[in-house]
Amino acid sequence: MSAHAAAPTGHDHSHDDHHHDPGFWKKYVFSTDHKWIGMQYGITAMLFLAFGFYLMMVMRWSIAYPHEPLPEWMSWIFTDNWKARWLQDGKVTGETYNMFGAMHGTIMVFLGIVPLGFGAFGNYVTPLQIGAVDMAFPKLNMVSYWVYLVGGLIMCASFFMESGAAKSGWTNYSPLAGFADGQIVNQWLAGQTQWLLGLVMLITSSLLGSVNFITTIINLRARGMTWMRLPFFVWAMLVTGFLLLLAFPPLEAAGIMQLMDRVAHSSFFMPSGLFTKSEGLADLSGGGSPLLFQHLFWFLGHPEVYVLLLPAIACVAEIIPANTRKPLWGYKSMVYSLLILGFLSFIVWAHHMYMTGMGAAVSTFFQTTTVLISIPSVIIITALLISLWGGSIRFTPPMLWACAFIPMFGIGGLTGLPLAFNLVGLHLHDTYYVIGHFHYVVAPGILFGLFAGVYHWYPKITGRYMSTFLSHVHFWPSLVCMNIIFFPMLTQGMAGFHRRWYNGGDAYLDKATAATADGANVFANTVAQNIDLNIVMSYGAWILAIAQIPFIINLFCSWKTGRKVESDNPWNATTLEWATPTPPPHGNFTFDVAVYRGPYEYSRPDCDKDYFPQWEAPKKPGGEAMDESADKSHH
Amino acid sequence: MEIPYIVNPRKDTGLINSKIAIWLFLASEVMLFGGFFSAYVYLRLGADYPWPERTLPVLPGLINTFILIGSSVTVVFAWVALKLGNWRQFQVYMGITVACAAIFMVLKGIEYNVKFHHQAARLHDYTVVEGHLGYELKDGADTHHPKGGDYVLDRNGKKIEENMIRVVAEKVTFAVKRFHAPWVNEMLAEAEHAKSEIKLAADIKAVTEEGKEPVTLAKAGEPLSLELLEKIKKQQLDALEYNAALRTDALRMEWKETKDANPGKRGWQLASDVNIDMDALAPRLLTEISTVEFTVNPPTRLLFKPRDIKESPTSSRLRDDTVIAGAMEASPMVFHNLDAIDFQWLVMKAKEKGISPETAIANSWLMKNSEFVREAWAWHLARNVKKQEVLNQRFGFSQDGKTPQQTLTHKELYRLGWKDLGEMGVETKGVKIGGVAKIKEEFMGPNYNARGEKTFPHLSVPREEIRHAAKFSPAWNTYYAIYFTITGLHGLHVIGGALVLLYYLVFGRKMFLSDPEWLANRVEVGGLFWHFVDLVWIFAFPIFYLM
Amino acid sequence: MADSIEAIQKAKKTYLMVFGALLVGTVLTVLVATVPALDVGSHGFDIYDAILGLIIATTKSTLVAAIFMHLNHEKKLIYWVFFGAIFFFFAMGALFALSESSPIYDTFFYK
Repeated sequence: MSAHAAAPTGHDHSHDDHHHDPGFWKKYVFSTDHKWIGMQYGITAMLFLAFGFYLMMVMRWSIAYPHEPLPEWMSWIFTDNWKARWLQDGKVTGETYNMFGAMHGTIMVFLGIVPLGFGAFGNYVTPLQIGAVDMAFPKLNMVSYWVYLVGGLIMCASFFMESGAAKSGWTNYSPLAGFADGQIVNQWLAGQTQWLLGLVMLITSSLLGSVNFITTIINLRARGMTWMRLPFFVWAMLVTGFLLLLAFPPLEAAGIMQLMDRVAHSSFFMPSGLFTKSEGLADLSGGGSPLLFQHLFWFLGHPEVYVLLLPAIACVAEIIPANTRKPLWGYKSMVYSLLILGFLSFIVWAHHMYMTGMGAAVSTFFQTTTVLISIPSVIIITALLISLWGGSIRFTPPMLWACAFIPMFGIGGLTGLPLAFNLVGLHLHDTYYVIGHFHYVVAPGILFGLFAGVYHWYPKITGRYMSTFLSHVHFWPSLVCMNIIFFPMLTQGMAGFHRRWYNGGDAYLDKATAATADGANVFANTVAQNIDLNIVMSYGAWILAIAQIPFIINLFCSWKTGRKVESDNPWNATTLEWATPTPPPHGNFTFDVAVYRGPYEYSRPDCDKDYFPQWEAPKKPGGEAMDESADKSHH
Repeated sequence: MEIPYIVNPRKDTGLINSKIAIWLFLASEVMLFGGFFSAYVYLRLGADYPWPERTLPVLPGLINTFILIGSSVTVVFAWVALKLGNWRQFQVYMGITVACAAIFMVLKGIEYNVKFHHQAARLHDYTVVEGHLGYELKDGADTHHPKGGDYVLDRNGKKIEENMIRVVAEKVTFAVKRFHAPWVNEMLAEAEHAKSEIKLAADIKAVTEEGKEPVTLAKAGEPLSLELLEKIKKQQLDALEYNAALRTDALRMEWKETKDANPGKRGWQLASDVNIDMDALAPRLLTEISTVEFTVNPPTRLLFKPRDIKESPTSSRLRDDTVIAGAMEASPMVFHNLDAIDFQWLVMKAKEKGISPETAIANSWLMKNSEFVREAWAWHLARNVKKQEVLNQRFGFSQDGKTPQQTLTHKELYRLGWKDLGEMGVETKGVKIGGVAKIKEEFMGPNYNARGEKTFPHLSVPREEIRHAAKFSPAWNTYYAIYFTITGLHGLHVIGGALVLLYYLVFGRKMFLSDPEWLANRVEVGGLFWHFVDLVWIFAFPIFYLM
Repeated sequence: MADSIEAIQKAKKTYLMVFGALLVGTVLTVLVATVPALDVGSHGFDIYDAILGLIIATTKSTLVAAIFMHLNHEKKLIYWVFFGAIFFFFAMGALFALSESSPIYDTFFYK
């Protein structure tokens, strides 16, 4: 990438970064070090997650108390001007709710979890685990972070514009999204357009990132790091990289086409004869197809689910062997499942679209592939579960989260099975059941996995442990509250609660008779029976918010005051990141890395320790094991 | 710290980093263009209008294909030159490659430009007319051969395209919260040019502080200015802000009291009883001014682009919610040169309704109102009979001896394109053009200057007849939309690729001197991208120009 | 990769031949679309013309990919990556087209 490579053989006359202070800007802001970029991703993503969480609290207030003004402890964040514009007598309006809903989804998925899982953990851990000095293209790595940040900020800046932020759901379906903010004369300054611009930047960012990751994993593995010696984490990153690489571009295409619809007034996604309340008979050519957008969106959308999930599973798969002191069960079948999962995830997308009027043949195809894809995911989760069997488990903070991940993700996955069937889809489509299902996957599932990762690698990053007490204070309420919030959603969903009700079903209550929940209007009765769950869920959300405070304290205070690690390998783990100094310096390794064995060699009978790190040479130098690594070498 | 495998490949994979990266990138590009091409297929299969097949002039596309293929060869040769260590040759070949890219983009630009100046309109009966819009002429000017002085000029001295909505504004009412400042300036300038005045219609009084008497913010007769609007807007926003806070507090209070009075009841059970006591609150509220009205004296003609305005005979609304009261003048769309008459869509719709195509065409607005169209259509029908005879001679009839084996296409039957009109001009009016003018036509479409009024006549379409109108831009139909999107994105790739290659050409010397292999690797990687751009064009060309 | 000088000189000839083939292909694709005598299928544009045009385009692009982009002798890894993407592109396009042309009702019952 740079003048570093001036000499074909390398090492001799390029400057050595260890001995130069690159200066504040180069070191902390425009850093090209994968570890610092990972931290940048992590911090940014967590801020976005907190913001997305806040949006969710406002929405939950609106659902539970649609007639009451937003309480002051929640609304202090807005200026009076903003409140006057977007709240009605202090109450959340439907429009504002839509805006928050759309941005909650967008922020959580695109700005929060993907950057945290893939950007932060991927960046920090992957090069360390394969024994590389850095990513293959460090400058590209930096660019992808900055493009992500700018894209995210563009999206969020639209909250403060005349139009407000995007309001058409995180899926941004046309024609709704094509018309939204039509009253804004300069369409480039409309929130809906900014959303698209931001999205195109985010896609560009993850594209650069995934090219970088895959190249790094293929070409920068250390001596002896053969494919079947790669830690599962690295495999997951490889597959995630491919998903990002191949699934995002169709959405980029869709984004560009929607942008054309908005600013060049084309009709890619606008059908003929479209009549809307705001525009009347639309002055458009028509002839386009709203379904085309849905196809392109979900072609990304489903692989995206695995882009979210795989980094979390990857973290858990690293943590479980290290804390059970036994090898990961079925490593190879997990890897193959992962590959099959990655492949299948490209051809299941239309199960999000059973209600769009696809023919029976196409529906059946997607139903079949969707059911098929549950097999590899179940294999992975089962392998993780069996990995616990017979282990001498240490319930360290990361292990707590990892253990909680399995059942929580299990609920999320199993509640998804009914949705795979198109007949059930007709009933449950767009209800809270769907919301409950994918939030079980994402919130107590994926987020728990990522929390586990934070607790697990924190000692490597800072040289100090996070406080065990605070982590328990963080963990138990989080676990309980997640279930308080999301389990009632499944019930409500089956009762027919629609996901886009900004007043939580209040409008459907038969006010005259429903006080007894026994009126003549059947649906009103059903709503009346389930509407109070909204309040339960709200309390769950408030407590969940409070439960994150110990985490934030823990994250920052342990940096300076936490218990210091005793060695570079505090968990006595086997993978290569624990072979580096703590924290790892620029260039990562202080010795010539070679790998001699698989990633999860715990409790080997022939070894006097209960773990046998990948980098430790066998006892007899020059023996067979040495040859084994040497013939896979590249120098 | 040193990243390995930048110049020399890793042994077990046999690849350098950048080569893996470029192939990964190309894979994602396959999916990006794949998304667009899939969209093309989807839109075309699902099109509910006659897809404009084989509609673009082939020649520019063909030349561009040659250019791109040529540049693909030269970029390989540039790489070969580097492999052989020949810097001079590398410079030559790379120079040609970059020059090819430049020519490609210039041609592309010409193609785009022609389309952006070509107007189409769909009437309410689904007739489509295409042609070249003219500029507004002074009364009594020679409409057929206007001179420079015959045109009406706007206040900037520019000619006015005859596609504007004309409204004689008497009153203008702005939406205080979101008037569009550039439009306000536009109106002011227009009024100044027309020597009229835009003045506040009535005094604006507002309570600006709680409990105080109303203050006069502006007096009737004050001239319109952005400052004035901004001042009123500020008052409006302040009042909204203040009142919202009051109302929110009042509502909170009400809820608290109601809840205290009804312990154990749910919010939704109480909601109907909780209302803000507006009577009590009213004296405390500030005045909200949502609209502000101005009079235009004397009434002045304002011009708007069709997309900016929802017009009606007496009162029109702009996109920013400004309401303009006043009569709308006749605002026809005037084709100074009509170059295509297309009944394909009309016939499609007629067939859906079970009406015969002939009846539908005969009843169309165009046939009823244009002598030229009637004449041209008669000529067209006669020629179609001859064309069918040619087909019959070639392919014969089916067994019954009557039904022809092959028939004319829908497009041939119901569309009179500019080439057909040109032929008609030659046959019936003796308008012949030759040489350069004709070649130019192959490239840029109808040559109005050479063929003139007789072939491409004048046509004025009343505004109320038009259902949808656009330049030949993405707004015209999904075909042009996908055409511009794919070729535009492809063009961006051409520019990007050319810049990278240019970088190697200009700054590669140092790399070459330190290690020719290094530069060769780089050029190979850049070349791979370049070939991919070529590859996309190989598909884009037949799909858009020939199908 | 051709690395010896002779091999590269030889490759140059191949490149020129491919160049010629591409030019011929381009002219051919224009001719079959514009000259009535070369029209396949029924008179005017139809599915056969589309197929023929795409066959010519695919041939041309195969030549570019195989010779200019050296895909005729490339590492397996790159085949996987590139052809994987092309596979998913086809899957996407085919399923889009299928779902557009397949109506919600079963044509067997509703004729």
